[in-house]
Parts: sequence; C-alpha cells; structure tokens
Amino acid sequence: MPTAVELTGIVKRFPGVIANDGVEFEAAEGEVHALLGENGAGKSTLSNILTGLYRPDEGSIRLYGEHVTFHSPGDALDAGICMVHQHFRLVAPFSVAENVILGDHRGEGRKLVVHPRRIERRVAELGERYRIEVDPRARVWQLSLGEQQRVEILKALYREARILILDEPTAVLTPQEADSLFETLRVMAGEGRTIIFISHKLHEVEAVSDRVTVLRAGKTVASVETAGATQRSLASLMVGRDVQLAQRQERTAPVGEAVLEVSDLCATGDRGDEALRGVSLTVGAGEILAVAGVAGNGQRELAETITGMRARTRGSVAVDGTPLHGGDPREAIHAGIAHVPEDRLHTGVAPSLSIAQNLVLKSYRSKEHAAGPLLRLRAIRDRAAHLIERYDVRGGGPQLPARQLSGGNLQKVVLAREFSGSPRVLVAASPTRGLDVAAIETVHRYLREAAAEGVAVLLISEDLDEILALADRIAVFFEGRISGEVDAGRTTVEELGLLMAGGAPS
Amino acid sequence: MIRVERRLEQPAWLSLAVPLGSVVVSFGVMAIVLVATGRAPGHTFIRLFDSAFIGRDALNATFVSATPLAFTGLCAAAAFRMQLFNIGGEGQLYAGAVLGAGAALLLGNHTAWLSIPLMVVAGAAGGAAFALIPAVLRAFLSTNEIITSLMLNYVAALVVDYLIFDSQSYWRDTSTPDARVFPQGKMLPDAASWPGLHLGGIVLPFGLLLGAGIAALLWVLFARTRFGFEMRVIGDSRRAATYAGMRTRRKILAVLAISGAIAGIGGASQDGDFRHTLDPRGLTQSGYGYSGIVIAALGRYNPFAVVVIAFLIGGLQNAGYTLQGVDFPSGLVGVMQGLILFCALGGELLIRYRLRVARPVREREASA
Amino acid sequence: MILAAGINDSILVVVLASAVAYGTPLLYAALGELVAERAGVLNLGVEGMMLMGAVMGFWGVQRTGNLGVAILVGAVAGGTMALIHAFLVITLRANQIVSGLALTIFAGAAGLSSYLGNDLQLADEPARHAFGPLFPHGWQTAGVVGPILLQHSVLVYASWLCVAAVAFYLNRTRPGLNVRAVGEAPAAADAMGINVTRYRYIHTLVGGVFAGVGGACFSLSITPQWVDGLTSGAGWIAIALVIFAFWRPALCLVGAYFFGAFQGLPFTLQSRGVTVAPELFQALPYVMTIVVLVLVSSAGARRRLGAPASLGTPYVREER
Repeated sequence: MPTAVELTGIVKRFPGVIANDGVEFEAAEGEVHALLGENGAGKSTLSNILTGLYRPDEGSIRLYGEHVTFHSPGDALDAGICMVHQHFRLVAPFSVAENVILGDHRGEGRKLVVHPRRIERRVAELGERYRIEVDPRARVWQLSLGEQQRVEILKALYREARILILDEPTAVLTPQEADSLFETLRVMAGEGRTIIFISHKLHEVEAVSDRVTVLRAGKTVASVETAGATQRSLASLMVGRDVQLAQRQERTAPVGEAVLEVSDLCATGDRGDEALRGVSLTVGAGEILAVAGVAGNGQRELAETITGMRARTRGSVAVDGTPLHGGDPREAIHAGIAHVPEDRLHTGVAPSLSIAQNLVLKSYRSKEHAAGPLLRLRAIRDRAAHLIERYDVRGGGPQLPARQLSGGNLQKVVLAREFSGSPRVLVAASPTRGLDVAAIETVHRYLREAAAEGVAVLLISEDLDEILALADRIAVFFEGRISGEVDAGRTTVEELGLLMAGGAPS
Repeated sequence: MIRVERRLEQPAWLSLAVPLGSVVVSFGVMAIVLVATGRAPGHTFIRLFDSAFIGRDALNATFVSATPLAFTGLCAAAAFRMQLFNIGGEGQLYAGAVLGAGAALLLGNHTAWLSIPLMVVAGAAGGAAFALIPAVLRAFLSTNEIITSLMLNYVAALVVDYLIFDSQSYWRDTSTPDARVFPQGKMLPDAASWPGLHLGGIVLPFGLLLGAGIAALLWVLFARTRFGFEMRVIGDSRRAATYAGMRTRRKILAVLAISGAIAGIGGASQDGDFRHTLDPRGLTQSGYGYSGIVIAALGRYNPFAVVVIAFLIGGLQNAGYTLQGVDFPSGLVGVMQGLILFCALGGELLIRYRLRVARPVREREASA
Repeated sequence: MILAAGINDSILVVVLASAVAYGTPLLYAALGELVAERAGVLNLGVEGMMLMGAVMGFWGVQRTGNLGVAILVGAVAGGTMALIHAFLVITLRANQIVSGLALTIFAGAAGLSSYLGNDLQLADEPARHAFGPLFPHGWQTAGVVGPILLQHSVLVYASWLCVAAVAFYLNRTRPGLNVRAVGEAPAAADAMGINVTRYRYIHTLVGGVFAGVGGACFSLSITPQWVDGLTSGAGWIAIALVIFAFWRPALCLVGAYFFGAFQGLPFTLQSRGVTVAPELFQALPYVMTIVVLVLVSSAGARRRLGAPASLGTPYVREER
C-alpha cells in the first residue's frame, strides 16, 4: 500500500532535553501502525509535530509523497491529520455537536450563524454511520471518559481525517471497551485511512497493529511487522536491555491486623454528584490492596476522602481502630496516613519551591525542623541532602526548584517524604503514571518494601499489569461502588474487565 | 523567527537588572511623550532629579513623600506574595489614620512615650480590621478580594470625608466659629507629634524608620519562619498547601490582617509625622495605596527593595508636587508610575523566559 | 440634563430614569469586559479606559462640535489602552491582574487622562454639545411609556442594541462559538485550528472600545463636563457587574440599571429635600457591589458555572 506519512530526520529540542533526535517514521495507507516507546521516549513530541502543535527544529514531513510544513494545528487539520489526545481537547460546557464542529471552516463551516438543530442532526448521522453511540446534545462534562473519547473520534471523522493519531487511548477504557475501539479502528483503516496508535502497552500493540515503530530516547530503533515480533522482543527494543516483564511475587508473610478500615463511605464529587456510594474496604498491615477501575469511577475521590482532602458525607475511616473526623488533611497525616497523590506536580509538591523545602512540606513543624516559630534551615538542608542520596534523586541539589525534576525523580522526592514519616498507611494514586520503565521499577520496589515493613498500602491504579504484579487483593471500582473484590493471584484480566464495566463477579 | 522558551534557571542579576531597566525604558518613553507635547525632556528630567534629591530640603521632602509609600508598598508586597491581591491599601491607610488620630485625641497631651506607641497600635488595628473584611469574604465565602478591597477604598474615603466634612464627629474641630463653617480636623496634641531623626540637616521621619524596621521583620518572617514557609507554599500551589495539611484559611486572614495593619500604621504616620490632624483631602488625593502596588511589583515583593524603591518613587512624587504648575502637568507622576510598571511587567517576561532566534528548519534527505 | 423638569414626577419613574441614565456607562463597560473575559482575558484596567474615553471624547466634542466624532474618539482612546493591556498579557504573558492595575494607574485619575485633560485645558467648561433625549418632547410625556422609555438619549438606545448584538454574537454565531471555546479551553480551541492569540487580542480591544464609549457617556451626557476622575469607580463596578451577570449580556442590562439606580439615588433624594449625609448614599453603590459579589460567589463557588475556565491565565502553546 502506498505511503501516507513519512517523517525524516526529525529533531526537536526543549530546554535541557532533546525530545526527538533524528526520528524516522513511515506509515502506509490503510495501515494501523503502532508507535511504541516508554514514557519519555519522544512519542508525544513526535505526534505533536505531526499535528502542527510543535515545529521541528530539523527534518521533513511528507504526506502522500508531497512535502508539507505546518505552521499551526489548523494546517495539519486541513491536511487531513487528526489526533485524539491523552487528555482530551474538548470544551467541557459545550455540547457534543458543538465540540465536533468547532473550528471547521469548510462548507457549512463558513456560514456565520450556527443552527444547533442542524449540527446536532449531522453529528447524529455520522454517529449512526460508524456505529458510535453518543448523544449530540449532551454536554461534554456530563459524559464518561470513554464517551468523551468517542466524541474525539467523531471529531476526526467529521473532519474526514485521512490520518488519525491516537495517544494512549485505552488508559480510560475497560478491556472490553478497548476491544470495541480496536474494531472501530480496523473499520477506519479498511477505508484507506492511516491509523497511528501510540502506546507503551505491549499487548495492545500486538492486538491491534499491523506494524510497529519503536522509539527509544528520542531515536527510532526499529520498525517491524507486528506479526513477526514478540512482546519480549518489543520490550527489549523499547528499553534497550533484556527486560523481565513484571512478575508477580507471591506473598511469603501472612497479612497483619487491619490497619485501614473504611466503612460505608460516601462523598460528593466536584460536580455535585455522588462520587462515592457506600464504599467499604480493609487493608491489613503489610498488605497491598489495589483499587482497579477506569478513571472517573470514584477512585480519586476515595483517595481524597481517606487522606482528608475531601469531606465525607457518610461512613467512617479508621486507622488502627481510631476513627478520623475527616475533611482535614492534617488529622490524616497525624494518624499516619501517607499520600502519594495522582497529580504529583501540582498537589504533591509546591513546584516553585526547592527540593529541600518540599521534603519538609509536612514535617516543617516538627522539632527537628523548627525551633519555635523559626525554621532550622541547616537541619532541613542536611536532611534533604541525605534523602536525595538515599532515594537516588537525580537532576540537581537540594536547592533545585521541584518543577525542574523529571517525572521519575519528582516521584522519588514525594516517596522520600512520605516514607520518612514512618506511616501506617500509604495511599498511592496512579504512582507510575507517565514514568519510564526504570522509574516504574523503582516505585514498585519502594511499594513492596513499604509493605514488607508492615505498612498498609492502598494502591489506586488504572494499569492492570501493575495491579496484577503488585497486589494481594484487588477491589474494582465502578460508579462509586466496589463492584467486586478478588484475590489477585486467582483472577484474570477478563474477570477484572467485567467488573470494571459493572458486571457481577464470577 | 523569535522563539520564547521557558528558562530553566532564573539568574539573580536579572532580578535587579529588570526593575532598573524598566525605569530607564520608561524614562525613555516619557521623554517621547514630553517631546510630543512640546516640552524639553532633558530639562524636565533635570528639574525632576533636582527637586527630588539634590540638597537637604529636597531630600527631606522626598523622605516625607517616601514614608507613606514604604508602608503601602510593604502592605501590597506582604499580600501579593501569597497571590492575595489586596488593592485596599488605600482604604486601610485611611482606617489607620482615623483610629490613630482618634487614639491621639483621646489621650490628650499625655507623654509622648504613651501617645506614639498607642497611635501605632491603633493605626495597625484600624488597618487590620478593615482588611479583615475582604479577608473573611475571601477565606470563607470565596469572594474575589480584588473587587471587595477596592470597593472598600471608596467607602473608606467617604467615611473619612464624612467624619470631617459632614458630621460633628469627634475628629472635627468645632472650637472656633471659623472652624464651624469651614470644616477641618482637630489638631492633634503635641505629644502625638512623631519625632524625626536629625542627621546634619537631614530629617528622617520616625515613620520611615518604623517602616524600615517593619521591612526587616517582614523579611525575617518570609525567609526564616514557619509562617513564611506556609505563605510561600500557599502562594505557589494552594492544592499542595491543603495536601500538606496547612490551614490555608487562617493564613489568608493572618496575611491580609498583617498587610492591612502595615498600611494602617502608614495612616497613623500621616497623622503623627506630617499632618497632625485627620486630613481627608490630603489623604484621599494622594493615592498612596495605588502607588504602593506599583512599588511592590517593581520591587518584586522583596521588603528591602520595596523600601528603596519607595524612596525613589517618593522622590518622583515630591518633584511632581514641587514642580506643579502650568509648566508641569499634574498627571505626569501617574503616567510615569504606570509606564514603569508596564516596563517591569514586560521585563518579567525576560526573567521567566528566554528569547531565542531559531535556526531555520533544515531538511535532511530521506535515507535510501 | 436627563432629569428634565416637567416630566411625570413620581419617584419611581424618576428612579428608573436615573437608573437608566447612570446605568448606561456601566452597561457599556460591562459588555466590553464581558466580551474580553469570555475570551479568557481579565481586564482590570476598565476604569482607566473609561477615563481615557471620557477625556478624549470630551476633547473631541470641544474640538469639532460633532458628537459622533466625539464618541468615536472616546472609543478609539479606550481601544488604544486596551491594546497596551493585550500586548502585555497576551504576547508578553504578564500577570493579568497587575497589568490591569498598572493600566488604571497609568491612564486613570492622576494619570494620563488627568495629564491630557489639564494639558488640553478641558476642565471648567461645559461641553459644546451634549447628548440629549432622542425623541421629541411630546412623545416623552405620553402616558406611562413615555417618561420611562422614550426620554433617553441615543446612547441608551444604542446600548440596548449592543446587548442584543453581543448576546446573538456569543450564542448563535460561529466566531462567538470560537471565542467561547477560547475562553473555556484554549488548548482545545488551538487544537481545532482556532487562533487563540488573535481572538484574545480582538476581544480585548473590543472591550476597550466599549469601555471608552462608556466613559464618554459621562463627559458627553451625564455631567456633561470634564473633571479629573469623573467616573469615580464605575469601571470597577462594571467588572463586578460581569460576575453578577454570570457572563450573560442580558443580565448585564439588569445589573447595570440596578447599580445605576443606586448611583442616582442621592441626587434624587436630595432634590426632594431629603437631607442625609451625602456620603452615606454615595457609599451605597460600592457596598451593594460587595454584597452582590458575596451572594454570587458563594452560591456559584460550588458549581462554578459561569466564569470562563481559562480566565486570567495566559495560553502558551509550546510549554512543556
């Protein structure tokens, strides 16, 4: 099949890092082509260049044999390239139809006045044709993440995209929804479109793509037929060494007494809806309980309620038998609850403050770090230097502003701080999101160590591989409730997928 | 093609160069405006500089102008650092002036050792209380403090006017038949006259020294205390502060109260150092609060820089008053201050970002 | 003056009439601010823009005797100030709050508007022409409708048209959809090919133009004279008004007249011999603004419906 996209010698530099270092990429018409690489390999940068968001420092782009230059996203759109981003580019208060037609300046789009009924009808027709179910009149903020993704795909179809790029699309889907997505993608490829599928998940790449290009540290390391590759070979290309895929380690020591007890917990979400509807769970000392589920089913609210950042409306949270009043992070901290938050950059640290300052973010009132109202600056700095070394935080010294650290090192700072308080409970929300393989291994190691030392670990994650590798038990969240609790050693991805979609446990 | 890139590090010299550069650039723009309106810029600037800094009289007058500006500048700096935009320095200064004068009048001609500290305390209390209104509204009701504190400026001005011009209040002088017809405030007793530090022929007002002391205290607060640490975290990321268990609401109240208190002391200083009465016209026409914001922004919220810049802007304002007349338009000072602030804002860009001229995109031939 | 004698005198009518008169500059300024904020740009320099509009509009009428030209000059003055703000916050990514304040200090009372007013010797003289009632006197006194609706100047009627136009623009046109997208989700708009920078510039400028016209209302219709600082904070009330109106043009109209009534109240009562200290009444609009803001903010704080999501934050495309 003829070549649709050809990227040659693409170089893109950012302050302090070369994101793309001479990347070569080629995809044909009617092909589903996977772009594989670990976090930080340069996949997102490359796709942003292809969609006109960034301009390459060097290199060329050819579409269907013709050389093109994009000065803005509009140019790429006009050339038929559409992208479904990881964080959706949707306008929340707008309706689905308004989002789909936004920015379109062909034909109908040239008219000054907008007729809501008319555009809703066109969007409905489009949805029917591709069997994508979504209500054109619904406001986007009301939709689930999976539904929002369908809107993004509708946008691409409306713009008659010839090249569709999807960036980690299954992060927000149940396994069954992911299969359905792959179906849609094959239909679209069958129409002669080119699908570029960005992922770091090997089994997906195997399942959906025809060919794979592997990026590592900003360079292209391989471009192969999927049929001829194995997960192991792809993994080693991705990481650059032979990699043991995450192995499950069976428990050796018995689980201790219940440390964290959550009973019938209810809480209201940001939109005024009931985010938690009577959640009960228990985590014992040294146990890792994983909370699985598609994002947006209440997991974030669960973490926030337990750690006091959100008030509960009913139910109770107790640590070592002592109930907490709730709604007060300081109370939770004193009770021994450590929290590694989902948003490490804006919640887990104060981005402009130094590493040293962030390391004492919770302990600055203690006797070691303060003498009355004054801070012991020397003690703080020494402590920071010690922790930086122990946790191997790279990127700079104690005075470096936290925002300049890479994702992995930032997470190490957060972990260093949380562990140094000798916690009883650790709530870790999506702790490895966006990290490269080495950092992921490090975080997993710390989590296991914490459990080995008797900490009750509540791991909230959307990555089933991670959960299956680390957890002792798994509680699956669906619409604010636990739809099922299973033993990690005895469950399957299919069973989990069913529970994630609200089905009953087998 | 010029590209804007975020800087990795913010070099220290830029923090000094940019404010200085802003002043230089704004003088340049002002020169253009002067030429456009038919005046000689060089001559005007020389007269400005002369009236501001040359000679003992000029310096003393500049200190007088600088004193309230130091207070309102510190008031703004203290709050703005924490992303609390307290625009109410103006009104908080009036509130402090009212309570300060009230305290002085109540004490009568008792010893200065009692009067003056009490005036300071009263002024601080007045300013703090007034600042607590927008503070409470912000902390508990999520109401935007910019508009509330600003509206209160107008209210405070009207209150001060009312006290002297349209009522028979305690502050009003009703002793002579003349005073009953032409409203004016009671003169404060001699005990309430704040002293000055005499060095040679130069007089440093007590208020200015007080302001410098407050600047030092603020610096210690920001840099060395737990309170300052919390302020910095809250100003940087409210979510991180909540996550860390900090009591953000209490801090908002505390910081705004401190901010208001500083402005309030500035008001008391107006009574005690300079005017020796509650003077609505004088206070409301000077715009100390707004100038304070300019000074705070220019000093990048550093307390010591604020005091120094207050001195410089004080010189500018002093020169503006002295030279006022047909020859010298009245709005010049506001224009210059605005220009300086614009340039400082633009200069901020240089501190946070770097301008780079990008090489044109080079193509590489597709490999065979 | 608008409150001409001989018109049906009932206090309600007089209050309504003055509400409209004083509310009109507020309405213009609020509409302008609404448009800018919908694009995500917070403009706190409205007071300064209004004062520039007032002084330059006055200059226009004194120089040319033509009211149309005067309004145009006022509008351009406001727009020019807005251009400075736009350049600072959009291109140079400066803090929008400080920039707006800087603009007010620069252009406001004891700033550029004062400089120009005194330099051009605009004080102490009434306007050569002022905007008077549009319809003939006979119509103005007809029935109930006359004194309420028909005794206003063309500025008032034009403001009603503007409300309708802005509402239609935002809700029913494509550029209106685009600008709302820019204000709510600039990243999404950018990804869909909408030029965020251009939309923000244009809408900030329009905001300035409206503010300039609003300011000119003062010097060409309400007073009609030029005095330093004659808007006395109307610009700030206009900013609060936008929040009060939940960023909807029709509610701006209601709010503007509501606040306008408070501004006109002291004079109305005074003319009826009610003597209370004038400061008390003069303080009312400011106090009302605070009260209204509190009510709106605490109810809305939970639901956050209304404020464009990107309001106050610069949009940077290539940020890492």
